[in-house]
Amino acid sequence: MTGRPASPQTLASAEEPVVFVIDDDASMRDALSNLFRSVGLRVEVFGSAHEFLQSALPNVASCLILDIRLPRLSGLDFQAELAKADIRIPIIFMTGHGDIPMTVRAMKAGAVDFLTKPFRDQDMLDAVTTAIERDRISRDEARVLSGLHACFATLTPREREVMALVTAGRMNKQIAAEIGIAEITVKIHRGHIMRKMAAKSLPDLVRMAEMLGIGPASGGPQT
Amino acid sequence: MLPMMRNQTMKSWRSAEQWLLGSMVLALAVAAFIWLVLGPAPAAPAYLTAVALLIASFLASLVMMRLVGASRRQIEAALHGRARAEQHATEALRHSEAQWKEVFEHNPVMYFMVDAAGTVLSVNTFGAAQLGYPLSELLGQSVLKVFPAEEQHAARSNVAICLENIGQTHSWEIRKVRKDGSALWVRENAKAVRLLDGQPIVLIACEDITERKQAENALRQSEMYLAEAQRLSHTGSFGWCANSDELIWSEETFRIFGFDRAPSMKRATVIRRIHPDDRARVLRTTKRALSDRKDFEHGYRLLMPDGSVKHVHVRAHAVKDTSSGIDFVGAVSDVTARKRAEAELHEAQRNLAHVTRVTALGELAASIAHEVNQPLAAVVTNAAACLRWLDREPANLKEARGILQSIINDGNRAGEVIQRVRGLANKTANQKAPLQINEVVNEVVSLVQHELFSHRAALRLELAPALPAVLADRIQLQQVILNLVINGIEAMQPVKDRPRELVIRTRQDEPRQILVAVSDCGVGVAAEIADRLFDAFFTTKSSGMGMGLSICRSIVDAHGGRLSVSGNVGPGATFEFSLPSHQEDST
Repeated sequence: MTGRPASPQTLASAEEPVVFVIDDDASMRDALSNLFRSVGLRVEVFGSAHEFLQSALPNVASCLILDIRLPRLSGLDFQAELAKADIRIPIIFMTGHGDIPMTVRAMKAGAVDFLTKPFRDQDMLDAVTTAIERDRISRDEARVLSGLHACFATLTPREREVMALVTAGRMNKQIAAEIGIAEITVKIHRGHIMRKMAAKSLPDLVRMAEMLGIGPASGGPQT
Repeated sequence: MLPMMRNQTMKSWRSAEQWLLGSMVLALAVAAFIWLVLGPAPAAPAYLTAVALLIASFLASLVMMRLVGASRRQIEAALHGRARAEQHATEALRHSEAQWKEVFEHNPVMYFMVDAAGTVLSVNTFGAAQLGYPLSELLGQSVLKVFPAEEQHAARSNVAICLENIGQTHSWEIRKVRKDGSALWVRENAKAVRLLDGQPIVLIACEDITERKQAENALRQSEMYLAEAQRLSHTGSFGWCANSDELIWSEETFRIFGFDRAPSMKRATVIRRIHPDDRARVLRTTKRALSDRKDFEHGYRLLMPDGSVKHVHVRAHAVKDTSSGIDFVGAVSDVTARKRAEAELHEAQRNLAHVTRVTALGELAASIAHEVNQPLAAVVTNAAACLRWLDREPANLKEARGILQSIINDGNRAGEVIQRVRGLANKTANQKAPLQINEVVNEVVSLVQHELFSHRAALRLELAPALPAVLADRIQLQQVILNLVINGIEAMQPVKDRPRELVIRTRQDEPRQILVAVSDCGVGVAAEIADRLFDAFFTTKSSGMGMGLSICRSIVDAHGGRLSVSGNVGPGATFEFSLPSHQEDST
């Protein structure tokens, strides 16, 4: 991403990542736009958080460059609001002067980077690359997770119960005893589960259960 | 002939009658003798002759007696009348003498007659009474006893002078002392004369002038007080006689203008002492005052011979009754010290304003750094982008050119902020120029952005468009607005329950008045401290000198405006100042 793309136009597809910039200073907005465009990144600039929220966000890998000092709503408060609204977009903060408590707060809240103006262009571009990559990964994970959820939704309640106990490491015999069914029935459930969840192996299923947050407790009441 | 003396005359008259009677008796005796000698029968002719003689002498005696009686009565009457006249004359003389004596004794003038040794030969009752002595205690005594010890020498020499110049009148004023010790001032007229026996005596008439002397002393004292007061107040007085173009000056006026005392001064001489730069103006003022016959007042400088400059302030009153020859009466004050103090005060105020301005800038350091940093960051980012556009194959010159233009703009923007800060930090003299108040507001706003941010305060500008210019010192106005804005931001610090919003409004109130208001929604100003808010060293903040508003007010005052505070309808306070609009240029 940080290299010089041979042809920026080719990247202008739906999958092309976008950099969003929110800064109340028009000069800074323009400068950042110039910088990102010079490396072939798609960029959209906003004068305020409000303007940003008004716009429709494309479903592509993206990151947000946020001036920490914004009129009315500070960058940090905006970060908190986005989190509350479950808008997960990697944020790179810019600030006029390094302020350690502010930096700590921003990083704790999941900021990718915290750059002090004026910053080296490469630092900014690196941060943007990292952020977009992170967004891409989290978007992929989200996509996988939503697939898992979809598969998990096809399981019957009994199958879910069995899956929770299987992924918790119980033997078939134990499971049969625990939920009061025949061992053969447990085996049949396991086969259905592996097929429905498209799990290649038991460890694969265990990983899926972890991603879905399924434990024995959630499988059903223990007696 | 009758004797001259009256008593003798009367006596001789009586003896004459006796003598006549005696002669008649003698005649009878002669007749009887004849009769006896001649016998009882003398010869008839002789006898007859004798008898006839006898009868004739008898008759003659009778006639004589009658004649003598008549003339004696006549003479007696004449003598009596004369005695009466003489008695009248004597009485008149005595009366006149008594009258003169009375005059001498009681004329309200003290008369003394002293001999060459100074012994009192005579003194009138009035004189003795005035001095509180009975006559007996003065007569025959040395006249020096009525003089106090310190005047005795003068008294003695005065008498001596009179004696040296006999017949000449001398006069002098001297102090005397009464018997009871109290003093009196007298004026004495004295003259030495010689008595018939050749002895010189001195006649002295003296008059009590104590009251006049006291009045004179009071007047002298009052003049002295006046002169002293003039000296102390550096204020002299003068009279201007336009006809002769002369000035009559008091002592202090001479001192102020640095001339030696003289009965009068030629105005031309005085005008030469006026500072050349002020001379024409002074002459204009006085000329107009003279033609209008109106009071006038003006200030000007004097250029003294030693090169020093004095500031004077003159007030003159036109005299309606010019019979005295004086057309204007006035006072001239040496205000040099006051002018110097004013200049020093002004300088001190300027220094203080500067210090507070620099202090405010110090407090704004973060904000200012941000304002410079912002365009600088844009410049750096743009420059990097520009390089990248140029490094492309082929280089995108269009983009690069556009970016370079942005770099220039941002560089200028940073430069302007620095200039603004430097202006505020500089100790500039008062430089009033027509300027747009909205521009000044925007310049200040550009310095406080970060301050607003760090206090989580929002700023709203409501600037009326197309306002007339104001004649003001840009830096000083920036200082006022800056101070009000910072105060407003700080006043909103404790506010948690509502947005912290600061509003700056500009508007035209009256045709010639521009208003600038800074409203906050902070804690507001308690009524009891509103009056003291503009006092020096009054502060409600834990830090700060308490000079800010005091200086703001003096700056606004110096611009002919007014700075005031009022409570808002809602929470917070509004500080508002007015400035007269500068309309000379627009009309």
